Amino acid sequence: MKPEVILHSFGYLTRAAGATIAVSFAGIVLGFAIGSAICAARVSRRPWLRRAGAVYVSVFRGVPLLVQLLFIYYFLAEYGIDVPAIVAAVGALALSSAAYQAEILRGALNAVPRGQGEAATALGFSGLDIWRRILMPQALRISTPPLISEFILLLKASSLVSVVGIAELTRVSMNIASETYRPLEAYLAGGLFYLAINLCLAALGALAERRLGAPGAR
Amino acid sequence: MIELAKVMKSFGAHPVLRGVDLSVQRSEVVCLIGPSGSGKSTLLRCVNFLEPYDSGEIRIDGRLIGYEDKRDGTRGRMRTRTLREMRREIGMVFQHFNLWPHMTALGNVAEPLRRVRGLAMREAADRAMAMLTRVGLAAKAGAYPSRLSGGQQQRVAIARALAMQPRLMLFDEPTSALDPELVGEVLEVMKSLAAEGMTMLVVTHEMGFAAHVAGRIAFIDEGRIIDEGPPAHVFHESAEPRVRQFLQTYHDRNAF
Amino acid sequence: MSLFWHYAPSLLSGFGVTILCWAAGGALGLMLGFAIALIRRLRLAPVNGLIRVFIEIFRGTPFLVQLFLLYAGGPSIGLRLSATAAGILGLALYSSAYFAEIFRAGFAAVPAGQIEAAVSVGMAPIDTMMRVMLPGALIAAVPSIVNMLIILSKETVVLSIITVPELMYQVQTMAAETFTAFDAIFGMAVFYWLLVEVVSRAGARIEARVTAYLAHQGAPA
Repeated sequence: MKPEVILHSFGYLTRAAGATIAVSFAGIVLGFAIGSAICAARVSRRPWLRRAGAVYVSVFRGVPLLVQLLFIYYFLAEYGIDVPAIVAAVGALALSSAAYQAEILRGALNAVPRGQGEAATALGFSGLDIWRRILMPQALRISTPPLISEFILLLKASSLVSVVGIAELTRVSMNIASETYRPLEAYLAGGLFYLAINLCLAALGALAERRLGAPGAR
Repeated sequence: MIELAKVMKSFGAHPVLRGVDLSVQRSEVVCLIGPSGSGKSTLLRCVNFLEPYDSGEIRIDGRLIGYEDKRDGTRGRMRTRTLREMRREIGMVFQHFNLWPHMTALGNVAEPLRRVRGLAMREAADRAMAMLTRVGLAAKAGAYPSRLSGGQQQRVAIARALAMQPRLMLFDEPTSALDPELVGEVLEVMKSLAAEGMTMLVVTHEMGFAAHVAGRIAFIDEGRIIDEGPPAHVFHESAEPRVRQFLQTYHDRNAF
Repeated sequence: MSLFWHYAPSLLSGFGVTILCWAAGGALGLMLGFAIALIRRLRLAPVNGLIRVFIEIFRGTPFLVQLFLLYAGGPSIGLRLSATAAGILGLALYSSAYFAEIFRAGFAAVPAGQIEAAVSVGMAPIDTMMRVMLPGALIAAVPSIVNMLIILSKETVVLSIITVPELMYQVQTMAAETFTAFDAIFGMAVFYWLLVEVVSRAGARIEARVTAYLAHQGAPA
């Protein structure tokens, strides 16, 4: 075992860690936007929207991420759209995460006590105002811890985008392994970086859980 | 002011209101009492159409709520906008307060003024403050509901409903969720409202309140009003066996 | 379509490998996870520390990296595994960390009152464990176990990256040889979607059955 390998590639790995975080962050943010829309569809009064939302969640949770990723990659190639691999990567992560985030948001909405919406209705609030001022603020608070968990999951899932060539942690570990002929050290290094990032995120998540018992939230 | 005629409602196959007739005059305080499952809360919630009723009529100041007579003579659902307008004139206080936890006491009272009455922030805050003072909670204006006792929360809820300057107030078991020592402060506020001439329809278990403040009491059981009249009549002179039985268990449990 | 028939044998073999890896990995993972959960209850500080590290590592790093470590990094410490063996071991270790936590939550979900009742009636610890603790823990754990097994079935496609000849690998080989990448991947997606839907529904029914059975078993004698 030669730890010097890890030290020499430290800079390389740090940049790759940055790429991993960036790709995952883009994925989760875009996933939130899409996921909110899917969630809205799921709770809509129109049956066809509810169906569409349910199908989306079923498909994007049922198909393995690797398959989704390659599908988008080849889909774009098939129709001659020349996009950089990064777009396929972030797109796949976002579309997949959106399905999980939609369910998290839906659960959070259900967790808001019914009575609050009723009080607003009895006072004559419009549906939109009830959504904006009463339901959403609380749903967002409730969903923050599970969303952070989802971010951690997405970060791990991002290792798959190495197959389309993105220079993130896993890909870089593979490169180091083949350049130095020391796969054990290379992958250990990559693993340690992932671990470090995830431990920080987990600490953030624990902080969020504690803080959200603050004034106002249940 | 409130007219209920032959109101019926079922939850699926289960009938809850089987033809209720009741009227509440302006500035009258009417208390609805009865055993659990009698339909009294459901009836109250039909008055502001929080629960839709299936047939019969509920009129507020002569105006039918929840439904409109269409041009072809049939009855259709009232437009949401019209319903919302009617609800602005009806105040409701819930058993579990239903304060919004992410807003302060002042925020809770001011929010409907801003969103529904369209007042500007400054004006809404001023009016909200006045209402909180009215219920004795000016000092707690900046507190979040989680920091308030049950009695305080309920008083904020009353202030929130009052701030809208409703023509009548509905109370759904306002003190049932409170610890005994906190019940008094809420009843005091309700008494002062009654003294000012507010029209009130109150579902309650507080017989003392009903006996002293109500102008009329209606006893409801199995979806029908069995007996009604001034407190003296219902409490002491009722000929209905179910009423006497209900009041008997109440006396037994509360005499010490 | 005739292409499909030509490749049917290899696709079928791939599917077989997928099932093998999933079943073997899942079974091993369940056993290992359960063992870890039991050992944890002995409350031996150094052992628990090691267990904690184990779980953090296998839940805090991507599955793919774990696979690479086993398959490519293994030889450096004398561990020469075939791709499939590495795949199964990888699935087992990965899932065991999650199952250990699932069983832990299961044990925690048994109301303390039930244990107190058994103790106060004079039940021996082993009986308390077998008749009160375990049934209760397993009932609580079943939904999470089913869920994890479904997740594991999806993770098997990652095995293709280390050249395990499972379904995804065969599909990609076929796609490369016949230039039908898009159709192949689309077929794969549909196949997996249906598989997961069916398994999820079956899982839900099994869940209900097992819960009812265990609840009956664990009922006060």
